[in-house]
Amino acid sequence: MSGYRVLTRHSSRMGWRVLSLSLVLFAILATELSANVLVAPTSVILSEKQRTGRLTVRNPTNKPVEIEIRFSYGLPVSDSLGNVKIKFQDSLVTDPHSALGWIKAFPRKMILDPSTSQIIRFLARPPKNLSDGEYWARIMVRSQEGKTSIPVPSDREGISTRLNMIMQTAIVLKYRTGSLLSKIELRNTEVWQTDSSVIALIDMKNRGNVSYVGILKCRLLDARNKEISQDKIDLAVYYDLMRRVELPVTEGNFTKPYKVEISISTDGRTDIPPQDMIIGNKIEYVATVED
Amino acid sequence: MYYNKFKTLIKGLGLLTVLVAVFIVSPLSAQDVSTGQAKANVLAVLVVTSEADIEFGDVMQGVPKIADKTSLTAAGRFKIVGEEGKEVSVFMQLPDYLWNDSTAAGGASDEDRMVVAFSTTDADLAFTDASTPAVHGANAITDQDPHNLSEVTLGNGNVGEQVCWIFMGGRVFPTVDQRTGVYSADIVLTAAYTGN
Repeated sequence: MSGYRVLTRHSSRMGWRVLSLSLVLFAILATELSANVLVAPTSVILSEKQRTGRLTVRNPTNKPVEIEIRFSYGLPVSDSLGNVKIKFQDSLVTDPHSALGWIKAFPRKMILDPSTSQIIRFLARPPKNLSDGEYWARIMVRSQEGKTSIPVPSDREGISTRLNMIMQTAIVLKYRTGSLLSKIELRNTEVWQTDSSVIALIDMKNRGNVSYVGILKCRLLDARNKEISQDKIDLAVYYDLMRRVELPVTEGNFTKPYKVEISISTDGRTDIPPQDMIIGNKIEYVATVED
Repeated sequence: MYYNKFKTLIKGLGLLTVLVAVFIVSPLSAQDVSTGQAKANVLAVLVVTSEADIEFGDVMQGVPKIADKTSLTAAGRFKIVGEEGKEVSVFMQLPDYLWNDSTAAGGASDEDRMVVAFSTTDADLAFTDASTPAVHGANAITDQDPHNLSEVTLGNGNVGEQVCWIFMGGRVFPTVDQRTGVYSADIVLTAAYTGN
């Protein structure tokens, strides 16, 4: 019986790998040919047991593309209204969970010919005595046309301009070591009604030593538990995060008072391979909407 | 025995997926890929494209020139494609000047600059694949500050759409004694999923 379990786990892992590889290829082939560069996957996870990782960059266009790989530091942060942004910082990073400075990429600069791919490899060389937990950086994949056309003024003595449009895709890199804990706390929740919707403002704090990656689901229910509307958001809480969720009040025979059912869980993230997910706690909370 | 059967099945499925990808899917655009289990994994990839530069055209000394964000020929166009409904943080680094750097007779470097400005309403965001600078489609967000773009939701509620277009305009202010020649600068757009 135990042998059967081992084989099943092994098969499941192998199945996921085969499927992931196929889907990445599927994604690369399915992308529009006008795209500049395509980067897959959207996160790179390293650990003390697996200190190397890889990323595929593909140029699906018919022009050569100049690629540069560098590192930055940036976490999703929110303002008091629940708007989220990633604030990038290239230097003077004081966060002890920053992995900047000890992650290397190979190669860092290249020109990709049309319809070609390049694998970028990453190597973690962490300092000794690193505390248990997760360390973060952003891989910045910068791309621009390999040969830029210089505009020629129609008047020989004229002035012409060119703004080079450069694209950067920021991919999260995480390095994990030691005992890992994924735990989130719901600090505060406010709900209120506007003319056409109910707004929920949800304040969360990470109590673990890894980023809490999961899904925030909100359902707007009437007094008889009839669903009025719902929304769900992919969540990544590194320290603190405030999220604003707007739930439309649709037409229907609904009875007041309304309530918002909030669920936070690490379940259901299909964009991250199961072996990279750290299962965390689950929170369920119901807040009543006051008239 | 079960293990071998399962292994064969998985290999078969993997091979089938690859064959489907190679022979059927490659001619399709990203918008065509939206079915079944594959959806979340396939579309998790984020693609940022520059579809058109901001075009000021020929500029005259002392005469400011506007590139209109709603003009099909002048507006700059960035396109972000990923998974429908996912949030993406978008950040733009914009220049203050366009630079002209040429070598004068005798080998000395001769540099001049021209002011370029982007107002707090110089960006429009559109969320249907067919959007153009002139016609944005449903749920567009207009008159945004390109220096301070908020996070965007790909598709922004338009079912079946997984795109965010950014249409941009700007202004240049040549001086009366602006040196003739070609002036250039970089605009950098950074995009990242906020959920991982």
